[in-house]
Amino acid sequence: MSLTGTEQVFGAIHESALNDMIRAFFDARPRYRRFGSPVFVPATTVTATQMGAIPFPGTGGIEWLVTFSIPVIDLFEQTTPLPPPLTLGPGQFSLRTTVGICIDCAARRDDRQASVAAGQGRAAANHVVCTALDVFGIGHLDSWHNSNGDGAVRLRVDTVELVDVTPDSLETLLECLLKMVLDAALSQMELPLPALRAGAFELIVVRGPDIADDRIKVAGNL
Amino acid sequence: MAEIIAAVDEGGANTLLGDAIQTIGTQSKSGSGSLGPFTASYNLTGHFTNGTVDLIAPGTVRIDQLRFDWNVDLSFQIDLNSFLPHFCLPQVCVDIPCVGTVCTPKICVSWPTITVPVSFGDFVEATADFGIDVSLNGGNWKVQIVVQNVSQLQFGPGTAGILALIGAAITPILLAIPFIGPFLAIAVDTILLAIGIAGVTGFLGPIISPFISGLKIPVYNQAKHFQVLPAAGPNDPAVFVELDAVTAGIQHSDEDELVLSVDISP
Amino acid sequence: MFDNLDTIDSRALRPTDCYGQRFMRPGTYHYHVLPSGGQHINRERPYVVRVSDPKDKGPAMQQLTLMVAWNGRELRPDKIDVSVNTGDLVVWNCPHPAAPPYEVAGDKDFFNSARLVNECGFSHAFGLPGTYRWADAFGSGVGGTVHVLAPRCRTPAELAQWQSDLARATVVMISHGKAEPAHVEIATGQTVYFAIVAGKGISVTDTRLHTIGNCGHTATTVG
Repeated sequence: MSLTGTEQVFGAIHESALNDMIRAFFDARPRYRRFGSPVFVPATTVTATQMGAIPFPGTGGIEWLVTFSIPVIDLFEQTTPLPPPLTLGPGQFSLRTTVGICIDCAARRDDRQASVAAGQGRAAANHVVCTALDVFGIGHLDSWHNSNGDGAVRLRVDTVELVDVTPDSLETLLECLLKMVLDAALSQMELPLPALRAGAFELIVVRGPDIADDRIKVAGNL
Repeated sequence: MAEIIAAVDEGGANTLLGDAIQTIGTQSKSGSGSLGPFTASYNLTGHFTNGTVDLIAPGTVRIDQLRFDWNVDLSFQIDLNSFLPHFCLPQVCVDIPCVGTVCTPKICVSWPTITVPVSFGDFVEATADFGIDVSLNGGNWKVQIVVQNVSQLQFGPGTAGILALIGAAITPILLAIPFIGPFLAIAVDTILLAIGIAGVTGFLGPIISPFISGLKIPVYNQAKHFQVLPAAGPNDPAVFVELDAVTAGIQHSDEDELVLSVDISP
Repeated sequence: MFDNLDTIDSRALRPTDCYGQRFMRPGTYHYHVLPSGGQHINRERPYVVRVSDPKDKGPAMQQLTLMVAWNGRELRPDKIDVSVNTGDLVVWNCPHPAAPPYEVAGDKDFFNSARLVNECGFSHAFGLPGTYRWADAFGSGVGGTVHVLAPRCRTPAELAQWQSDLARATVVMISHGKAEPAHVEIATGQTVYFAIVAGKGISVTDTRLHTIGNCGHTATTVG
């Protein structure tokens, strides 16, 4: 069976090369896996993205930091074990990463009878509390392409699984939170279709990009 | 197991190589060569047009009816004394009244050397087998197909008319030479016979053949330090990977395909 | 398109031209053969024609033909010191294809191919077809036309006939400002002999060359 099938041109990137590209992306632009409020990220730089503190009455804003390790992707066919109930189906990818969450557990010092004046802001974290969670996820490819041969793919996270977090309701809540965070963060990474072919040939997409045989595959015409 | 694969089938290869051949553009060459018994200087320009591509595993790309359209401006010198018969005006005697007979001597004419400029064009076709060459030069991976074997050049029908063009170019030059008028047809025929069709193809062949035998058609050209994404602001620098290895070949299954394989690292 | 490309100018002799001069009086006549116009620069006259008048001289004019050679630097007759009798004719011709147009310049006014005075002649074999209008470049008004026809040479017989015709020439007699016949018709390759009987000194020159100067010569009485 030919690679191109009924089309003229075919391109495929193996999951190992895809992981190399993802690593290259996050090595060049680490700010896309480190997001934090001003106490943790005074300004957006190459290494971190500043977000706003979580507003809450009387706190002056809850300062927070979320980081995750460079995710490792497994394209269907499944190679990497997954915790139940996750299963990797056709056209899907799994990911594994470690998410770090920190907050500045600040103590309020605005008692009406306290000597410290109320409303004074804090310049640095008072008491940082962090945790790290191993996260497994399942997702699908999102892509676009046009008749000029341009196009790109990005990874969309559909499901996240944490292991051994109790109670179950906390696990479910955290899974949803982390799914939203990971999906939003990974959505920032758009990999151009020509780059997935190392710049070989022109290709106007007719079929794909699809996940199959541990690869992202695309076919089309010149 | 190749990390990245890109493949193109024969139909795609036809388009790919046709576009690549067009990027080669017009080529030219100047020099001198033997046109029959004459030495001719020339300036030849030409361009290629793709033929029909046949991918043959494991590593041959055959292009049938590869066409090279060419135009040549050439100039050659003819020492007419080498081709025309020795010609002398005979002694001429006249009777001058009251004087007598006055005679001129026999005067032999020396023919000049003429320079003949000729311009013409036509095409050649050939079937060429190309091999696949992969190289890393100056930080760039290049895959190109290079000629390994060329069939005999088939000259177009216009080439047979080149002798007539040479004759047409010679004629006005000869007509300006005193005393050659009555010999004109003989002179032109003698010169053209000296050149002959073999002279024309023997002149053109060595000039045109190197264009075809030296043909290299680019298929792939990328920097080893390969840019995945360009910079997108001061906090989003460009993203690169390294192309560690590139291989290329023809694979046969239910159709023949030109396949590039690339290994990368972050 | 290619008519009238031949060059006829008795002031500048070419390989298919001849200059003939009769010597009517005994004496020693020095001359030189020089590139056209050179007689006004080089005053030497190293070559000699010795004319004697023996009592036993026969009635017929004798002709002596001198072939002029060109060695890349100078023109030199094959005999530089010749002797003839009065009334005899000396003819000069240089057939060398690389020789420059030349003149035969004597130490007497009558003895000069650049200005034909009397008892002399100029012949020209026409190599290209066309109608050639000639006239005296010194302004005497004498002139005529030579109509040169391209011969029909498509068969060996026609070629042979043409080659035979080359031996026949046409004579134009020029005397006191009049050419007879003034208009002649010949075939390519044939010769016209212009016989100058007497005059003030003329040239036989294509009218298209008349703007080229006559250095040192004016349209006045000569000799």
